[in-house]
Amino acid sequence: MELFKSHKNSDYTIIIGCGRLGTGLADSLSDSGGNVMVIDNDKDAFRKMSSSYGGLTLIGDATDIDILKEAQIENANAVVCVTNNDNTNIMVAQIAKELFKVKHVISRLYDPERECLYREFDIATICPAVLSANEISKLLGNAKKEDEVE
Amino acid sequence: MKKRALLIGSFNKARSLASSLIKKGYHVTAINSNYQDCLALAEIDSLTVINGDGTKPFILDEANAQNADIAIALSQRDDNNLVICELCKKKFNVKKTVAIVNDPKKTEFFHKMGIDSVVCSTSAITGIIEQQAFMDEIAITIPIGEGHISIAEVPITQTSPAVGKKLWEVNLPKEVIVGCILRHEHNMIPRGDTRILAGDMLVLISSDKQETVAIKELTGR
Repeated sequence: MELFKSHKNSDYTIIIGCGRLGTGLADSLSDSGGNVMVIDNDKDAFRKMSSSYGGLTLIGDATDIDILKEAQIENANAVVCVTNNDNTNIMVAQIAKELFKVKHVISRLYDPERECLYREFDIATICPAVLSANEISKLLGNAKKEDEVE
Repeated sequence: MKKRALLIGSFNKARSLASSLIKKGYHVTAINSNYQDCLALAEIDSLTVINGDGTKPFILDEANAQNADIAIALSQRDDNNLVICELCKKKFNVKKTVAIVNDPKKTEFFHKMGIDSVVCSTSAITGIIEQQAFMDEIAITIPIGEGHISIAEVPITQTSPAVGKKLWEVNLPKEVIVGCILRHEHNMIPRGDTRILAGDMLVLISSDKQETVAIKELTGR
């Protein structure tokens, strides 16, 4: 942890939520040489991580400001909120952006109707429902084209 | 026109708050995600009850949040309360939002996020417990201004060290003033040369938790 103190704005990413997305993201970021910290309040969640994962893990509630400080959030240049709870993601993302001024904050949002809460903050959102819908309509479009060719 | 209040989450808090607000002439709507709780809430006369998750915009819409004058988020989880209040404020333009927060460290953050009134249940309750358990000498304390200022009633007994002293002779902290002395049936606003007598009830106004020091100085405890 001392390593990060010396060079602020180095590549340090905190991932909140160690589900399928969180684990996959942490593994790939750490494989490509980034400094990664994963926070989850369930210690069993970390069993999903690959054995080659070289980053840090922290058990705790990421909506607790002290836990975020323990994770040295002030040194992070990116925070990714991917818990399975929209409201938790919203709160952690806003804390990261507004209290700790983290440069890049990315948050997953299941319910697109809640997007207005992110609008005035500089927080990027990923909405699986919208992405899937776009992808499916693209596939459907392709299928139609194929039908027409036939 | 009747003022409209929207209560989201919590069964017990919503029930007692709803009854009291209805008595005061509010039109009250309660949102609760538990169906059984909704049935029990519906027994209150003239309370509108909506069954659903209050952090979802369409539920708030169903509860007519856009017409509410005040929205109060009472749920157990801080993140839910934050989202409820932010939705009410930003999507439904509710004039006043109130949130309960469990973690005292987040009170300031909630204010920063534009929530008008933040009530920290934890510090309110611990405050009351401390007062009940450790300060028998105080009849009542009322925290105001987010708990930074408190008003305390302090009874003076025969054995109190301040008995017989003039007010300026008592070494009170700077942040404390004696605002009023209740002596028998009279209320008096004291000056520096007012003498403190046994049986007096002093009303202290203090900031930043200085009342303990002041009470020790006055009563010896």
